[in-house]
Amino acid sequence: MMLENIFEDARNFLDRAGFARRSRHVAMGAACLIALGISGQAQAAPAGCAALQAKYPAWKGKTLVNAINPHTPGYEAIDPKDPSKYVGFDIDLGEQIGECLGFKLTYKAVTFAALLTTLSSGQADIVISDIYATEERAKAADFITYSKVFDGVLVAKGNPKKIDGINLSMCGAAAAENTGFVEVPLVQALIPQCKAAGKPEPTLQLYENNANCIQAILAGRADTYVNDVNTVDQAVKANPDKLEKALAVTIPYSVGIAVPKDKPEFRDAVLAALIEVQKAGIHMDLLKKWELDVNNFKEPDILSVK
Amino acid sequence: MSLFVHYLSLPYLIEGIWFTLAVTGLGLAGGLILGLVLAAMQLSRFWVLAAFARGYTVIFRGTPLILQMVFAYDALPQIGLKLSAIGAAGLALAANEAPFIAEMLRAGVLGIDRGQVLAGQALGMTPGLLMRRIIAPQAIRTMIPAFGNETVSALKNSSLASVISVQELTLRSTQLASSTFDFFSIFFASGLIYLALTTGVSVIQLFVERVLDLDRPATQYRFARLLPWYRAPLALEPITAGPVASTEARSDAVVPFAAPVKDVKASRADRTKRSATLTRNDAVVEVNGLYKAYDSQPVLAGVDMTVRVGEVVALLGPSGSGKSTLLRCINHLEGWDAGTVKVGGRRMGFREDGKPLSPRDLANERAMVGVGMVFQQFNLFGHLTALENVAGPLRWVHGLSRIDADRRARELLERVGLSHRADALPRHLSGGQQQRVAIARAIAPNPSVLLLDEPTSALDPELVNEVLEVIRRLAIEDGLTMIISTHQLRFADEVADRVVFLSGGSIVEEGPAHEVLTNPRNPITARFLSIMDADRPTAAPA
Repeated sequence: MMLENIFEDARNFLDRAGFARRSRHVAMGAACLIALGISGQAQAAPAGCAALQAKYPAWKGKTLVNAINPHTPGYEAIDPKDPSKYVGFDIDLGEQIGECLGFKLTYKAVTFAALLTTLSSGQADIVISDIYATEERAKAADFITYSKVFDGVLVAKGNPKKIDGINLSMCGAAAAENTGFVEVPLVQALIPQCKAAGKPEPTLQLYENNANCIQAILAGRADTYVNDVNTVDQAVKANPDKLEKALAVTIPYSVGIAVPKDKPEFRDAVLAALIEVQKAGIHMDLLKKWELDVNNFKEPDILSVK
Repeated sequence: MSLFVHYLSLPYLIEGIWFTLAVTGLGLAGGLILGLVLAAMQLSRFWVLAAFARGYTVIFRGTPLILQMVFAYDALPQIGLKLSAIGAAGLALAANEAPFIAEMLRAGVLGIDRGQVLAGQALGMTPGLLMRRIIAPQAIRTMIPAFGNETVSALKNSSLASVISVQELTLRSTQLASSTFDFFSIFFASGLIYLALTTGVSVIQLFVERVLDLDRPATQYRFARLLPWYRAPLALEPITAGPVASTEARSDAVVPFAAPVKDVKASRADRTKRSATLTRNDAVVEVNGLYKAYDSQPVLAGVDMTVRVGEVVALLGPSGSGKSTLLRCINHLEGWDAGTVKVGGRRMGFREDGKPLSPRDLANERAMVGVGMVFQQFNLFGHLTALENVAGPLRWVHGLSRIDADRRARELLERVGLSHRADALPRHLSGGQQQRVAIARAIAPNPSVLLLDEPTSALDPELVNEVLEVIRRLAIEDGLTMIISTHQLRFADEVADRVVFLSGGSIVEEGPAHEVLTNPRNPITARFLSIMDADRPTAAPA
């Protein structure tokens, strides 16, 4: 049932967008032309990329490793129809950047908390996995930010605890979170506030991936799960009669591509390539393709701390 | 349900099995190698090696596997050792399994009856040979169930490799669950796959157990044994054909030797002549001032003894008087604190310059000098047939061909009246039969002296005679030089040329057997003999 939902959505979407190598035979003709228009896969790399490849030749022809936490459908998850592939906005964006600089990507699936350690140990070259660029994390890696952050509050259907954000409404509630997520310290910061207000403290349950956090709510173990609004929407879509999104909240972070701190040239190359990809309109097209809010779009910056 | 079947047959999950098996295989193979090294270090004579192995065990047994995985994956690259994800997972699992496997190996080795090891040493087997031929074959059999357990646990533990991006079953299941939201169908499917794998391990374990089973069951049980409700029969049938009773009758019929019981007077005259001859013979065993103490409590307080070629010496004395220790010192199964022991003119266990020999060189010297030993507890090699107990050491230690060794072994089994039990395992033989095999084994390499340490003390009274008969024949027919510690006074009187009476680690009296036994001069000897009166030989009528 759940699977069919997803497939249904995917089909609707594919019909609309007409994208993807596998569905090309379905949507021939006009749809195919649109596909060519929006999919970087099928079109040549943006014009400025040739110059970038000349300026940064070190990565041309290489295959780099992208560490991901493939548990966030829409951003990065395995393709339910062909589990040997990873699909999502981040995957497409990474491949566009790779195309621009002339490298290919392979993927290494790790837990969220292990993304940056995998990068700094040299087991991966780049991390494009819906990771929020915070000052704290920037001590472990340099970030090229590319997206604004909107969080959603996932609760059980009917929102029995009347939770409306990471605020006093969460006092006494059990919040499920991923280990290493930025929301974890935000919930922890509530503890003294709740105490001061004479309310019971919120409790935190830490899990290894989104699916486990969502299961915690379905099983009645947790009352809420605050995460990227798209992830929350996907969860509601998969379980419409059991879950709902209480609210979207803005979190003062940006999503970033993480690269090793000791490779500033690579960081600059990725930044330049991302700018080209954005200039060519591909970034915006991909947001639409994956049904993400276009308001997520953000011009890139570098976050690097000593 | 259909989703469950869909995921169960999904190639993506099925392919994950290979990663699971690869990590498990690496972990077990590496763990076995590392475990062997660790176990060898822990059992080693060198304390530094043992301490290092202990330290390793404490660290790797005491920290979670998940941390070790992350360490192998993320920390080792910092020192330039960048393994693939499977390699890192395999290494961590191997490092983690090693102490457990080492403990299994150690328990298996230590579980082998110490007497068998002593017997092997006495036969001149080097430590390596003992390990390969005696300890390992038996230890491995006892360790198979534990190995099965360890394999199942390694297989399940391999799921932790999911944290370091190995695309094994668990990682693939969680990824699939995240992208499809079909949490339960997927985890039931992968759970069933794990169950199939662990069941496979169990089947292999049972199969290996069956192949290595010494009491190989008859054909009709072979497949029944694989069924979970099968229980092995508690009483093991002897494998030889025919009812037990007839076998016993047959063996008893063979033992009594043909020579007529000696005429006492004739033997008296013979004895005088014999002892005159013996005193002219060369000394085989020379013990001088042998002193040994445990915690300043002397067990041997300066023993001097010479045994000449062809002489049979009975060592008598109360329990704890030092008889066994003296015998074990003669072939250097035990060390001592002062004094010398020479066998065939050589100082056993020492180099020319007086330094002690390594265990390996000592074993070779034992084999060369030829000191056979028969133990109170028989100490047959439990995994070998009667024939192999005799023939095996001949091949391994003395380099005989299989044909020659088997021929010699059959000859000797026939002499001890057991040729019909050549293919029986020790545990299917009676105590008396086992001791007769042990005697055949000890005399097979033609030792220059045979030491018998209370050879009948562990036997039921009705089985004592069959063993004494065999020893008697060795003394009389073969003229074999023997030192026997025994409580069988009548037997000592019949067989021994000389009696040496030990008490409190010293020789308190010695002399011609009949004389000492019938007319002891030392009050301690007299008291001992009178306590053992029931078995005391009477003074010959004039």
